[in-house]
Amino acid sequence: MEIPYTVTARPDTGLYNAKVGIWLFLASEVMLFGGLFSSYVFLRIGADYPWPFHELKVLPGFINTMVLIISSVSIVSAWAALKARRYGWYQINMVITLLCALGFMGIKSFEYYGKFTHYSVILHDGTVMDGHPGHASEEHRGDKIALGEVKSFSVNLAKSETAFLRHRRINDGGAKPFGEVPDGQTIKVRTPSGKEVEFTQSWLNKQKRDYRDLENVRAKLATLQARIDAPKARVEDMKRAVSGNFPVPFDAAKAEVLLAEHQDLQASSASKLKELEGKIKALTAGNPDAAASTLTLQVAGDPLAFRVDERALAKYNAGEIIFRDDVILKGKLLGDSIPLNADLIDLRSVKDPENSLAWKYYPGLKPAFFKHMEEETEAFKKKHPAHANDYETNADWKRSALRVSLEELAPETEAHALMHDESKAVQVERSDKRFYTNFSPSRSPYYAIYFLMTGLHGLHVVGGSIVLGYFLFTGRRMYKRNPEHLANRVEVGGLFWHFVDLVWIFLFPVFYLL
Amino acid sequence: MDHSTNTPVHQDGHDSHGAPLDLAKTVRSYLKVGGVLILGTFLTVAVAYVPWMQTGVHWADTTIGLLIATIKVSFVGLLFMHLNHERGLIYKVLFFTIIFSIAMMFLFVLAFLDPIKAALLN
Repeated sequence: MEIPYTVTARPDTGLYNAKVGIWLFLASEVMLFGGLFSSYVFLRIGADYPWPFHELKVLPGFINTMVLIISSVSIVSAWAALKARRYGWYQINMVITLLCALGFMGIKSFEYYGKFTHYSVILHDGTVMDGHPGHASEEHRGDKIALGEVKSFSVNLAKSETAFLRHRRINDGGAKPFGEVPDGQTIKVRTPSGKEVEFTQSWLNKQKRDYRDLENVRAKLATLQARIDAPKARVEDMKRAVSGNFPVPFDAAKAEVLLAEHQDLQASSASKLKELEGKIKALTAGNPDAAASTLTLQVAGDPLAFRVDERALAKYNAGEIIFRDDVILKGKLLGDSIPLNADLIDLRSVKDPENSLAWKYYPGLKPAFFKHMEEETEAFKKKHPAHANDYETNADWKRSALRVSLEELAPETEAHALMHDESKAVQVERSDKRFYTNFSPSRSPYYAIYFLMTGLHGLHVVGGSIVLGYFLFTGRRMYKRNPEHLANRVEVGGLFWHFVDLVWIFLFPVFYLL
Repeated sequence: MDHSTNTPVHQDGHDSHGAPLDLAKTVRSYLKVGGVLILGTFLTVAVAYVPWMQTGVHWADTTIGLLIATIKVSFVGLLFMHLNHERGLIYKVLFFTIIFSIAMMFLFVLAFLDPIKAALLN
């Protein structure tokens, strides 16, 4: 079947079909991004926190803008080369376009990586300390709770799994007290019935199956017993109703019938009741450890140690940690502080900067911070004489005076050590912490919409690259058959590519500059 | 995707005057547009970061920045996407798109018409 109007224009529209199609698609894309930009405006106007203005590094965004402009020039030149029947030039320009796309995504990945590994601790008084929670390894990241001397733990046979073992660590006696557990190393436990077993997922599954079987029989027994007791319970209700708020006279005849019914049911169900009770006894005797939902296990051998991501926990205290799936580890809390190599202190949301919690961790930087604040205040008053008296409510003043990087507060070598040397990391007490996150969408609505819009734009870059790559690598045959058809295809792909550039032209100033 | 503002490329690879497409000339014109876009990018960054380029009023700097972005977008749309000499159908589609997009940009105003939310936002 031949697709009509791929090269020549359709008489009624005056355009070849693909061009009408791409413009309709681009119209819908304009609406999509328009809606997102509208959301951005709403979030920015309604923000009840200091909007992260000038927080993104401009250079990567600037380079990416240049890269997209170059790619726009190259893709339109590729199309012109096809129109001039210069296939070699077409290829060169397409390669430039694809290299630009690759460069754009590379820079974007670099930016994203920086954000995912940069953290922010927001303290209870509103103090914000941005930085890196230990540089050496994932093991030293601040979102870990360390529990040692674990001699027993309990699992809930209705919902627990062995996933908590992922957080198990071993004391290797060196500088790294929580080493990785070698592959295949399991733990031995003693059950309440005195058995010593290897604690594995398959063993736990067996216990869970036995417990479920037992619970099923117990449920059957409870249902049968309730059915037998129902007539008797109704008589009890009738007795109570005699002296209730709305008294109902006792119907002796009806009560007699109900009691007779109860006795009949008791008699007819006796054998079934006995059978079910026998089953329960047999199942309990078969596996006494699976008789109750909570199974407490004693560790056979050396006590265990764990280092757990706080997000995996329901709660914890000095003697135990409770996972979200009800696994409870009993031991001794070894540490829950957040090690942080801060690179920036932000006191914009602090009522009394003099007594900020930041000075609990960085007392040495306090004089420099207030000196910086005074200097910035003077400079601000000089620049904005109209705001000389109400500068404290001005967002620009707050930003320049109360949000300061450590590089501005300490000499270069000292600042570098505080920011990068793990031994200089401060230990932020978890009780001081209100919120702890990396610069991911969870950081604030600003970062949520930043990742949403730049991510969606990035997906467009990837999609466009695939299509243009296809035209580049498979275009020769079409060019030989009908060069105009290939030119039209590249024009349509190019229109999409220009739209991607067009979106970035707005994204760049909106997120990075304004 | 026109090769220049006044010499649109036709289906057969010739310009509007019937002359064969001069690739070098066409690419030169695209490079000029690229240069304007790069210049616009420098200007936008300067408005945001260079003190003497700023008005000192944040909303004014924002407006100027967005205005430059709009001019850049116009260059891309008109010259790279050849909207400077497109068929009527495309303009009709884009007319409605732009109207709806502008309306959507002001949707947030509805939040201020909600007296409870407006009180929270102010």
